[in-house]
Amino acid sequence: MTRTLAVCAMLLAGAAAAPRAAAAQAAAPVLAQGVRAYDDLDLDGAAGLFRRALSIQGAGALAPADADRALMYLAATELLREHSDSARAVARRLVVANPRFRPDELVFPPQVLTFYEGVRRATPAVTARAPADTAIRPGAEALAVRLYASTVHDVTATLDRDDGRVLRTLYAGPVGDSLDLHWNGQDSSGTTPSNGRYAITVTSLDRQRRAIRILRVPLEVTQGRVDTLPHPAPPADSLLLPERQSMKPALRAFAPAALAGVAIAVLPSVVANGEDASGARFVVGGTVTVVGLVAFFSHHPGRSIPANAAHNRTLRDAWRREDADVARRNAERARGMLGIRAGTPVLLTPEAP
Amino acid sequence: MTRAVVLVFLAVTSTAQAQSGWKVSFGVSGAPEIARSRTLTTRERVSGLVLGGEAVAARGHLVARLRYGQGRVTNDTAGRDVAEGEALLGYKARPWLTVWFGPHARTFVVPGQSDRRWLLWSGRVTARGTLFPERVSSFVEVWQGVTGSLSRPSESASGGGAEAGLDLRLTRRPVWGRLAYRIEQGRAGTRRETVEAITLTIGVTPLP
Repeated sequence: MTRTLAVCAMLLAGAAAAPRAAAAQAAAPVLAQGVRAYDDLDLDGAAGLFRRALSIQGAGALAPADADRALMYLAATELLREHSDSARAVARRLVVANPRFRPDELVFPPQVLTFYEGVRRATPAVTARAPADTAIRPGAEALAVRLYASTVHDVTATLDRDDGRVLRTLYAGPVGDSLDLHWNGQDSSGTTPSNGRYAITVTSLDRQRRAIRILRVPLEVTQGRVDTLPHPAPPADSLLLPERQSMKPALRAFAPAALAGVAIAVLPSVVANGEDASGARFVVGGTVTVVGLVAFFSHHPGRSIPANAAHNRTLRDAWRREDADVARRNAERARGMLGIRAGTPVLLTPEAP
Repeated sequence: MTRAVVLVFLAVTSTAQAQSGWKVSFGVSGAPEIARSRTLTTRERVSGLVLGGEAVAARGHLVARLRYGQGRVTNDTAGRDVAEGEALLGYKARPWLTVWFGPHARTFVVPGQSDRRWLLWSGRVTARGTLFPERVSSFVEVWQGVTGSLSRPSESASGGGAEAGLDLRLTRRPVWGRLAYRIEQGRAGTRRETVEAITLTIGVTPLP
């Protein structure tokens, strides 16, 4: 009976878990299945698998390189299925997403390679790489943004405000394989822009100089913000010496005397209850207590220790000097500097597959 | 002559303790003593001076102590000789704590009467605390008779006592001194004898 219940529970658990496992399916195995189907010339099946792999989002989505591969395989599949429009759209999507992508000549047949090359040449697109976080001295140094192009075409690159107003044109002209844009931290009038959000906008133009694709690299500009030197930590307590005599040694010296004095006063009534003990015992008890007090004060409780105070002062002064030096150097470094934080480039005219 | 005897004594004891591992010390004491004796019908108080000596030997955790004293205590109408002593074996459980066990006896001698002797086997505890390191320390000792007897009238006896005071040692010298207050009480039937003393002891511990 118990075994039957256990088997039922396992079956129920398995049944409940199965849909969830299917939903959480990763795209990479689907891509691998699609590649096998492509190799087996099951082109219809391969096309479905590639589209399914590309449609999976979230944690199971394809990595960027795998997504490029999936698009390339899908374009080749569609071409081999003689769906040339669909193949062109997929290839264009790949060019726009990654202008630097080149198909593997050992994997794809010449007709696919030729087809992709044709689409790439006909699809002007750029992508950009910028340092995520940097600081420049406006006018003397420059932020470098590298553009990668799919094909030779004309671009315009401008520095814009967040609302789209152009502050400065950085470049206007042809781009071949790649191009470095430089922004010296100033607008067209030579003024350093105030703190805020900006963008470098790269517009790809066709032969009729119409804007066909716009790439925005968001920038966050902060004046005077640079990576500062860390301030030194204050001297640790373990390095500092006590500046005053502790009470503990003094109390430790006095306590035995006090206990003995109390014992001399009290013990007669404990040991010889009912007897009138001699008052002479207080001579001994008093002597013990007085010697205990002498011992207590011989430790000079609470008295300052000049040598330790001087040692601590030296440590603290050295730390203050170092701290002030770091503050001065940070201020020097920050003076006139412009901090620039670049975000992920955003394509404003993405093309559908 | 006396100086020569002392020097020879110190030389012999220091040589002996260096060879044996035992650390010994000796002392002589003087104690003004008050003894109170009480029964259902009588009450007596006598006082006097008791002179004595002690020897202590220690090795590791083990300690042995011998004390002996004798003197005469009197009042306006009566007087008696007193002799007292103890032989204790101790164990130093901690540097500041020693436990002891051994016999403790006191005899009063009255002319024309047989001696009245108290004998108590006692357990003791001595605690010490340092006031000035290596120089001055205080101590408290409490003891309780485990079993005992009184010779006249012949009865079993019980009792207890306490001692507390100061020990003083001179730096780099073998001489030491002690000022202590001591109180003891023996009980047998309806008789109670209480002895109080303030003891001043001067001793030597031969340097190794």
